[in-house]
Amino acid sequence: MNKIVRSVIKSKQVMITITIIGMLIHASAVMSQDFSTYHNYDAMTRELKRLVSENKDIAKIESIGKTLEGRDLWVLTIANPEGVPMAERPAMFIGANFEGDHLIGSEISLSIINHLLKNYATDDAVKKSINDHVYYIIPRMNPDAAEGMFESIKTGRKSNMNEYDGDNDGRMDEDGPDDLNKDGYITMMRVKDKNGLYMIDKDEPRLMKKADPAKGESSGYAIYWEGIDNDKDGFINEDAKGGTDINRNFMHDYPYFKDGAGKHMVSENETRALMEWIIKHRNIAIMLNFGESDNLIVPPGSRGTLSSDKGIDQINIANESYAGAGKVGMVNTEVAGRFGMFRMGRGSQDQQTAQPTGRQRPVISAETTFNLADLEYFKKAGDIYKELTGIKTQPPLRDPKGAFFQYGYFQYGVLSFSTPGWGIDAAEEPTEERRRPAAGEERGGAPQTATSARGVRGAGSNSAMPTPGNSQVSGIDKNYLNWLDKNNITGFIDWQKYTHPELGEVEIGGFTPYEINNPPASKIVELGEAHAKFAVRLSGLYAKVKIAKTEVINHGGGLFRIKVEVENEGFLPTALNQGVTSRAVNPTMVQLGVKPETIISGNAKTNFFQALAGSGMRQKYEWLIKGKSGDKIELIVVAQKAGTDKVNITLK
Amino acid sequence: MEEIKVKTIYKTLACAFVVVMLMMVVSPVTYGQKYASDPQFKVKLDFNRWHDVNELWDDMKRLEKAFPTFLKLGSVGKSHNGQEIMYMTINNPETGPELSKAAMYIDANIHGNEIQGSEICLYTIWYLMENYGRIDKVTQLVNDRVFYIFPTVNPDGHQYFMEGDGGGARSGHVPVDDDNDGLYDEDGPNDLNGNGVIEQIRVYVPGKGNMRISTRDNRIMEPVGFGETGDYIILGLEGFDDDGDGLVNEDGPGSYDPNRNWAIDWQPDYVQGGAMEFPFQLPEANAINKFLMAHPNIAGVQAYHNNGGMILRGPGAESMGEYPASDVKFYDELGKNGERILPFYRYIVIWSGLYTVHGGFIDWTSDGLGMISFSNELWNGRQYFTSPELQEQTKDPNSPISGQSGDFFFDDYLEFGDEYVDWKEFDHPDFGKVEMGGRWKKTRGRVPPRFMNEELAHRNMAFTLYQADEMPIMKMGGNKVEKIGNDVFRVWVEFINPKVAPTITAKAAQNNVVRPDLLTLEGNVDIISASWINDAKTYDYLNPITQEIDQHDLKRIMIRNGHPGKTTRTIQYLVKGSGKVTVEYDSVKGGTISTTFEVK
Repeated sequence: MNKIVRSVIKSKQVMITITIIGMLIHASAVMSQDFSTYHNYDAMTRELKRLVSENKDIAKIESIGKTLEGRDLWVLTIANPEGVPMAERPAMFIGANFEGDHLIGSEISLSIINHLLKNYATDDAVKKSINDHVYYIIPRMNPDAAEGMFESIKTGRKSNMNEYDGDNDGRMDEDGPDDLNKDGYITMMRVKDKNGLYMIDKDEPRLMKKADPAKGESSGYAIYWEGIDNDKDGFINEDAKGGTDINRNFMHDYPYFKDGAGKHMVSENETRALMEWIIKHRNIAIMLNFGESDNLIVPPGSRGTLSSDKGIDQINIANESYAGAGKVGMVNTEVAGRFGMFRMGRGSQDQQTAQPTGRQRPVISAETTFNLADLEYFKKAGDIYKELTGIKTQPPLRDPKGAFFQYGYFQYGVLSFSTPGWGIDAAEEPTEERRRPAAGEERGGAPQTATSARGVRGAGSNSAMPTPGNSQVSGIDKNYLNWLDKNNITGFIDWQKYTHPELGEVEIGGFTPYEINNPPASKIVELGEAHAKFAVRLSGLYAKVKIAKTEVINHGGGLFRIKVEVENEGFLPTALNQGVTSRAVNPTMVQLGVKPETIISGNAKTNFFQALAGSGMRQKYEWLIKGKSGDKIELIVVAQKAGTDKVNITLK
Repeated sequence: MEEIKVKTIYKTLACAFVVVMLMMVVSPVTYGQKYASDPQFKVKLDFNRWHDVNELWDDMKRLEKAFPTFLKLGSVGKSHNGQEIMYMTINNPETGPELSKAAMYIDANIHGNEIQGSEICLYTIWYLMENYGRIDKVTQLVNDRVFYIFPTVNPDGHQYFMEGDGGGARSGHVPVDDDNDGLYDEDGPNDLNGNGVIEQIRVYVPGKGNMRISTRDNRIMEPVGFGETGDYIILGLEGFDDDGDGLVNEDGPGSYDPNRNWAIDWQPDYVQGGAMEFPFQLPEANAINKFLMAHPNIAGVQAYHNNGGMILRGPGAESMGEYPASDVKFYDELGKNGERILPFYRYIVIWSGLYTVHGGFIDWTSDGLGMISFSNELWNGRQYFTSPELQEQTKDPNSPISGQSGDFFFDDYLEFGDEYVDWKEFDHPDFGKVEMGGRWKKTRGRVPPRFMNEELAHRNMAFTLYQADEMPIMKMGGNKVEKIGNDVFRVWVEFINPKVAPTITAKAAQNNVVRPDLLTLEGNVDIISASWINDAKTYDYLNPITQEIDQHDLKRIMIRNGHPGKTTRTIQYLVKGSGKVTVEYDSVKGGTISTTFEVK
């Protein structure tokens, strides 16, 4: 904990030093800079601009839009502009910090940028990926929220600063958390309460759990987020400042009217800017997103479902403390009164209801599980990931409703990954034991639990409150706490007595925000290097179309037969199955440059194939055309995410 | 609001017109003659012609000029092609600012080809203004309500329909690559002979064709049976291969559905064709949504479409579930009366009665914004022959007014052949000597015959005004103070919503999208308890036990699901202390009311 704080303070000096050193020593392949710090927005921006200005020939920085507080959303394009036009090259999108309290992804992205630029001259794989392909990197998607990490009181808010009446009571952002014990962190309060549902975990007294009356356990504790009931409505911290969580604001499995989801899909500056940008960059074939969900450490299971998304119970429990706030004031006068029963008869109601006429189209619904045929590619990537990063155990995660990476796969139709970017592996213990099986395997593909949707709440409160008493799923509190202990990380503040102005005697303590979603800054360099290598390795998987064979047969009488084979030289298919299903990936076009009426038989002038598997799979075409010897005919193959190819065929 | 640029010529014309109108109105008085005619209109508009966008805007400007107290013309932004998306606000400033009164939002023409809704919008503005102060009901509506009227929310589509042949105008004009060749909208149909109609192309091949001319009517083509021969082949629609890819007319303008781009139950294109890439991607939808979100006073919505004769309500898809029962009740009341106002129209639910719609406009306004929303599908083909006798005849295959024959009969005898384009010879660049024709003009079929449009406009307006009238309006009932003990009083205050619609729909309460109604009490008293009395009339006899309001701040009580329609509710306060108190009921869509009285 202190390390982070210290490193942040340190960062300014460090950077000045770095710049000086950088000027003196020409940067070599070895990373010469100290990236082991979390950057605030201004520091991040300076760093990005510096990197670009030192590598103008292969890097550029642009803004895709501005946040509500006026911060630019930077996208770096790393590619050698010479050669094939960028829009025709397969590209990788790297995005981070959709969730405001997830900053490790930003730092890893920065490391990736640094790695690519520094090693371009010396590393063949890096060079090839920059010459032949494109990287688009957005290190910080939610900068307004991310600034929270650098504020004096750390709330761990995920949401941007768009105002939102979280409990819909007609007052905006009126009851946020308060740092009562002045330790700089918003943690939790536990209060002795006969009506409380929770008890101290006997095995680990720092943790709380739900009492099970069937086991003879008695409860006696209520848990709240640290703060007071600012608006005196009976709920603590139910409507904090902000906003919308950028990673809950996209269209796949969108959590309508839920916590942090915004007023509607793509309601935010950040989300709209990204959507407008991404649909103009159809050459993106792989997305690597950093966030609080994972499909790399544990790839989607055999039923196409994501791994379980266990969070921290204590957080879910605290979230439940204001569960009822969004429901206060429902009036039902219909059933009141002695004769209420009689008045309930409402015989006339259904006779009036609009009647169906029966004409119906078949119901189609959106895919919600990964296409089984695409799973092998996720698995393959997952294997490489584990090999290069060594991460085997997921840190605290949450349910990815409305997350960007899900859009990337289900609607944009490409291989789209999400990783927290770090793990809580304990080296001395067998990892298998800690590894949680995929949801499909463990729970028979049961729907994700509602409570795990939230993660750290702190300041990011919103409407559609959680349901009380719902956090039955055991979180990873204990494993995470063990990991903190073993690594000497102060991510848990011990309970300490405090006299609360409303609740009387309470104890304040618990997991600290930011640590839950970010490893210590000292890990950044190692994680950054590993992920940079992973990104480069991924870029070796792109599909690549090639006109592998052309043959001309002269049948005499001005009749020629042209035979062509188109090959996918890459590893990935030209379109994933979901890319075909979603119609998001264009079919590949194979077009013979002749007038349509000169084709006597065979294929049409313009042909399309939906997808061609990689590793040398071929697709054949054949035309019988009228022409004369010496005619030059252009044949083109245009794939959206697998490049283009073109040859001139001479009739002879 | 943006300044509206008027072409000078139109401005001059409009001014001249107003002057002429004034003379017409003023002159009879000057001469002191007595006229038996109806009163003259201040602004003369025609409702038996189809207007393009420019003329719609011009007419709106003329109206604004003639009725400056009530009308305010505005724009919410620009369409893809850069046209303003204009709207008229009707508000009587003397009865309060806009946001203090329930508003009715009316739009039309989201599908560019569905143009008659635009005329209804214009008609509605015109009718309300011309009859304000003359017909009491109209006066009351304009005084009580606010109207936001958008004659076209797809000006690009509307203009394309009017200027072109009518094809491809449903969509907006954001380019879409229909054939995935990397080119956008590069090969649409072409009006080769320049007659404004995209005709069919047929080629005469005596004895070798698969189509023949019907013996019933030589304008009807029919396929030949097996083993028979015909003299014609139909080649397709008028056009050629613009981009030389071997396909004809495969990538026309747009081709998405602006009414699938809204943020409720939005589904990607492979589930809901035409949805585009994300909700509110379209500049028109985005601009309208911003307007709606900035106007929480909008209680009712009507979005005019064509055709089929329907009064539609959501939900658009079965998976969205039925509306809560209390909502169904008032929708049914409005819808069933709508069927009486609009003969040949049926009141139905979109998904079950029409087809499934994901991401539709009125689903968004209803579920996402808590507005009571209808969409009328204007014009029903049965309205060509309306009497019960003629309706019977249309069912008899041998009658001259059944099926296609009926279409020709109507065109021949009522429109004097104006709508049908007959076959004519043509020299086609690709096919040589062909015949083109055999098509109805764009103005026949989905829109009513011009002479019937005014009735369509009036009846649909009447339904929408009925809806506007039945939006919530909170009224104060009586109040009563009774001394219970030393310094303790029982205070009753009555609130009435005499209209059909509640201040907050159950759907809106479910989704938490409308701010709860707020009941506040100001005064130097302490509230010991507050509760709702269900039926104040029977209270003395039946003494129903009321449920206490379990809220911390009883001086500011939230009513999350609002005040139901046609309901009187009584709040009972038990207060300690005495003196003057003010009780206020503040609802976003039903207005704010208050009463001040003495507790003693």
